[in-house]
Amino acid sequence: MVLPTMSHEAESLSPAPTESIEDRAVRATLACVARHGLTKTTFDDVAREAGCARATLYRYFGGKRQIVRITIAREAARIAASIRAAADAEATFEDAVVAMFVRAARELRDHEALQFLFAFEPEVVLPHVTFDAGTRFLVGAGSAISPALTRFLPAERVERTGEWLARVALTHALAPTSPIDLTDEAETRAFVRELVLPGLLRPEPTT
Amino acid sequence: MNVQVEPRERVLASTYACVARFGMGKTTVEDVVKESGVSRASIYRLFPGGKDQLLRETVGWEMNRFFTRLAEAVYDAPDFASLLEEGLVFAHRAIQDHEVLRKVLETEPDRLLPLITVEQHRVLDFITAFLLPYLEREQRAGRVRPGVDLEVAAPYVARLVLSLIGSPGRWDMDDPEQVRLLVREELLGGILV
Repeated sequence: MVLPTMSHEAESLSPAPTESIEDRAVRATLACVARHGLTKTTFDDVAREAGCARATLYRYFGGKRQIVRITIAREAARIAASIRAAADAEATFEDAVVAMFVRAARELRDHEALQFLFAFEPEVVLPHVTFDAGTRFLVGAGSAISPALTRFLPAERVERTGEWLARVALTHALAPTSPIDLTDEAETRAFVRELVLPGLLRPEPTT
Repeated sequence: MNVQVEPRERVLASTYACVARFGMGKTTVEDVVKESGVSRASIYRLFPGGKDQLLRETVGWEMNRFFTRLAEAVYDAPDFASLLEEGLVFAHRAIQDHEVLRKVLETEPDRLLPLITVEQHRVLDFITAFLLPYLEREQRAGRVRPGVDLEVAAPYVARLVLSLIGSPGRWDMDDPEQVRLLVREELLGGILV
């Protein structure tokens, strides 16, 4: 699978020659949201940012709703792949868990569009990550990262553990004041070792 | 209802009643005046931010009531793990059955959720303070893992309990056996021996 590569530093808006229309639209949507938020971003803004004719973009996507939906799906897949890659580079379960938390927290911290939404349009994000939608988000995020855990855990623990890790990360991401800075590796390691890991290594009871 | 209730409490209870009836967007300060019998001037003295402040504090007020009921339901549990198991089961049902919450989540999530998030730190402090003595009791009984700092562990458990109450994920909170597993492994594996 070819995953979209997106450099956060890239301020240059001239599209790379190999970029597909979808790549361009996703990148443009993220740039617009980072600048003006989701509500104020229009289909025309995205077209202009992407350097596409409105009609062309419209033929591909049919409207702002669809572009936003595709952008979210692509970003979710990209971030999940980044988190799995962080775990894949480590040798032990502890290192992998620490690497996943740190990568997730840094992806969030460096994500200009999401940061804008959290700061100025929380009403746009929160309905997707709390209550019943929170359950769907956690099950989905857990499944997305759990392939990176199969090396370390018995099969029946994998998805369950993926969801728990997603939950721990989400509760800290959503908290206005988090006691633990998950972008900091040493802090995260102490936290993982003391509070998170022992619960994940408890054997299934035989009953 | 106690007729001696102080005006502040009466205004919050009345705002809550109005939200239940009209929703958050349509509730006005005038509605609250009518419902509470407290004058407009007094309401603005108590809540200078007007409708926005009323709604925010009413959300905090109801969250506080919810978690007080939860604490009352579980306070005499025999040990920490049982306390959390009973609490999760109770809270899950209470959330499912909370008609006003369900209705507003359905119709005005964009208004409600930011307020819940803003008020959440109070609830976290409340749950943390509630859990701490139980954890201390476990520690005196020698059931806390060596090296665990209760001042760190209590807020951690509070956060995750709050997460599980709102979004249980794959866990079936109506199944006591699943809740037992969740509490004794994921949640407390790092804390209790």
